[in-house]
Amino acid sequence: MSRRIAIVEDDPAIRANYADALRKHGFEIAAYGSRPEALAAMKGRLPDLAIIDIGLGADVDGGFELCRELRALSAALPIIFLTARDSDFDVVSGLRLGADDYLTKDISLPHLVARIAALFRRAELVREPQASEETLERGPLMLDLKRFSVSWNGEPVPLTLTEFWMVHALAKFPGHVKNREQLMREAQLVVDDSTVTSHIKRIRRKFLAADPAFDQIDTAYGMGYRWKA
Amino acid sequence: MRVRISLRAKLALVSLVLLALPLAGALYVNEMERFLLEGEERALLATARAVATALHDRPQLLAAAPRRDDDALRREAEQELRRLAQSEGQPVAQPPSVALAREAAVDTGPAQQEIAAILRGVERSSSRIWVVNRRYQVLALAGSLRQPAPREAGGPLQQAWRHAIGWLIQRPTEDFAEALPDDVLATGRDITAALQGTPGTRMRRTPDARAVVLSAAYPIWNGDEVAGAVVVEETTNPIVSLRSAALERLLLLTLAAFAGAGAILIAYATRLSQRIRRLRDEAESAIDARGRIARLAAGSAAGDEIGDLSRSFSAMLARLAQHHAYLESMADRLSHELRTPIAVVRSSLENLELAPLPQEAQLYIARAEEGLGRLNTILQRMSEASRLEQGLRTAERERYDLVPVVRGCVEGYRLAYPNVRIALTLPERRVEVEGSPDLAAQLLDKLVENAVDFCRAGEPVRVILEEQGGAAALGVENKGPLLPADMEGRLFESMVSIRGERRPGAPHLGLGLYVARLIVEFHGGSIAAANLPTADGVAVRARFPVAWR
Repeated sequence: MSRRIAIVEDDPAIRANYADALRKHGFEIAAYGSRPEALAAMKGRLPDLAIIDIGLGADVDGGFELCRELRALSAALPIIFLTARDSDFDVVSGLRLGADDYLTKDISLPHLVARIAALFRRAELVREPQASEETLERGPLMLDLKRFSVSWNGEPVPLTLTEFWMVHALAKFPGHVKNREQLMREAQLVVDDSTVTSHIKRIRRKFLAADPAFDQIDTAYGMGYRWKA
Repeated sequence: MRVRISLRAKLALVSLVLLALPLAGALYVNEMERFLLEGEERALLATARAVATALHDRPQLLAAAPRRDDDALRREAEQELRRLAQSEGQPVAQPPSVALAREAAVDTGPAQQEIAAILRGVERSSSRIWVVNRRYQVLALAGSLRQPAPREAGGPLQQAWRHAIGWLIQRPTEDFAEALPDDVLATGRDITAALQGTPGTRMRRTPDARAVVLSAAYPIWNGDEVAGAVVVEETTNPIVSLRSAALERLLLLTLAAFAGAGAILIAYATRLSQRIRRLRDEAESAIDARGRIARLAAGSAAGDEIGDLSRSFSAMLARLAQHHAYLESMADRLSHELRTPIAVVRSSLENLELAPLPQEAQLYIARAEEGLGRLNTILQRMSEASRLEQGLRTAERERYDLVPVVRGCVEGYRLAYPNVRIALTLPERRVEVEGSPDLAAQLLDKLVENAVDFCRAGEPVRVILEEQGGAAALGVENKGPLLPADMEGRLFESMVSIRGERRPGAPHLGLGLYVARLIVEFHGGSIAAANLPTADGVAVRARFPVAWR
C-alpha cells in the first residue's frame, strides 16, 4: 500500500508541482489549498504524513493552527512545515507546535523526498519497537541511525531530523571541525550560515535541557563546529 | 572666516533705532526754546515800548546831557586795568560792577532822576533798562542783568547726576560779565535802529561768552523826531535753564526707556535664540549614530514660526524615517515575496528533470538551475540583515575573549582565501568584551570578505586587534582603491554600496557593512572606515568597549 501524503499549500503551482514530483516517487498525494478544506478531509482520513505551509492565503498563520489541530488528532503523524518564512521566530513556533521538521521552500525535491523517507522510517520504527543495530555511541551520546533518535546519558533528546543529522555529522568524527557548508550538506539543508548557527544553538539548548553540564559542541570561530573528543 | 553675529547682537543693533526718539525730543526742546525766546523778545519789546511811551514828548527830560566826570573816567580805567592784572590765572572774582561805577560817574541831574524814577516803576528783577539820548549817552539805568543765583536744588545724588551730565547739557550760569553800556551802544544794531525810529531787537553774548543777552530798543518820540531810545535787556538764562531741565529729564527718560527696552529685547532675543539653538541641536541629533531618525520636540507646540519650523522639520523627519524603514524592510519583504515564485520555478524544473528529456533540454535545465541558485544567494543576502536584526533582539550577551575568536577566524580565512595573504596582529593579553562571539565572527567575516574583494593582488590584508584605552579596536586594512570622499559616513547604511565593477556570480547589495554595523552596535561599539594615512588603501575599524573587570 502506497503511503499517503497530504500537502496543504495555497499556491496552486507549487502545490501541483510538489504533488506531481511526489507522485513520481510513488506516494499517494492529497493536495489542499486551505485550512478548513484540509482539516475536513484529514478528519475523515488521516494521511501518513502532512506537509503544511504556514501562510495559507489570507490565513496568515493558518499552518500553525492546522498543525495544532492535526497534532490533536494524532500524536504520531509526521508533520513537516514547508514555507517561505525562514525567521527564527517562525522556526521555533513551528517546532514547538509539534512539527517534526521545518523546511524552507529553498529545499530541492530530492532533499524533500529524502526527508520524507526518513520521517516515514522513524515513524515506522516507533510503531514497531525492536532493538536497533545501527547505533553510534560517543560517551554518553547515543544516536540511533534507524529511528533517528538521540539519547544523552540514556535520556532521550528530542531533536528534529535536521538537528539529528547535524549532530550525527559532528559526532561521527569527534575532534574534526565541520564547517557550516558541510553541516548543511549533511543535514540536507539549503540555508545560510546564520541558520546553521541558530540550529547549533537549538541543539545545544536541547542537550542542556537534558544535562545542564553539556559542553560537547565546540565552536571553532570562522571555521565551524566540532564534537569534543 | 565669516563673522558670526548672533541674533542677540543683531537685535541690540536694531534697538539703536530707538536713538531716534531722544533725537526727536532734543529737536522738540530746541523748538520750544526758540518759541520761548521769541516770547521773551516780544515781552522785552513791550516793556521798552511802555517805558518809551512814558517818555514820549518830554524833550526836557532827554535834552539835558549828563556832565562827564573825567576823573571818574580815569579812575574807572585804572580800576579796570588793575582788575585785569589780578584776574590773570585766577578764577575771575566778581569784578566790581563797572556799570555801577559808571553809573556813579554820571552826574545825576534832576532830569535823570525823574527818568530813573520812571524806570524804577517798571524795573524787573532780571532785566536792565536804560535810556539813551540821540548822542548815545546813557541818561538813566535801572536793574541788573544778574539775578540772585538759585540755590542748587536736590540732594547729593541729583547734584552728582547734574555734574556727570554737565558736559552734555550746559546749565546757565549767573557768573558772567555784564557788558558796559558804552560798548553795547557802539555796536548795538537795535539801538541804532531805534534812534532811527524803528524798534529793534538783538541777541548778543556777554563779552566773556558765558551768557546770552537779549535786548530790545524802542524809540522815544518827541513830536516827529526821535529824542532817544529805551533799551531793555535780559539774559536768556531762565529759558536756558528751562531747556536744560527739559533736556535732563529727556535724557533720564531716554536712558530709562533704553534700559527697559534693551532688557526686554535682550531677554526676548535670548529666548528666541535659545529656542532656535535647541531646534538646531535637535535637528543635528535627529539622525543618531545608528541612522535611526527621531522626532523633534523643541517648540513643537509653539504657535509661532519657530514652532512651525520644528513641526515641518518633524514632518520631514517622519517622512524620511518612513522611507528609511521602507528601504530597510524592502530587502526582507522582497526576499520573502520572491521565495514563492522561485519555489514554483524550482519545483517545475525538478519535475522536468524527472521526465525523459532530450540532451539539449538537460543543458538548459542545468543553466536555469544555475541562475536559480544565484537568485537564491541574492535572496539570502537580502534577508540576512533583517534576520540579523531579529536575531539581535533575542541574542544573549556573554562575556568572552576576542583574541581566540579573531585567531580562529583568520585561520579559517587563510583556508578560504588561499590566494590572499592575511597578516594578523594580536595583543598578548586577553581582550574581554561583552556580546556574542558568533556575531563577532560574522562581523569579521564581513570585513575580511570586503577587504579581500578590494585588495590589490599581491598585497596582504591586515587584521589587527589591539586594546586602546578601555576599548578593543579591531581593524581590517587592505591596499587598494580609496573610499569616495562623499561615502565615508554612509558606508554602513543599508543598501549602500561603493562597488564600481560587478563580479559575476557574487551579488552585492550593500548590506555587508550594514550587518557589520548592527553587530558592532550590539556590542555597544562603533565602526568607521577611513583611507589609510599612506593614501593607498582603506582601513575599517570597529571599537568595542572592553568588558568591565
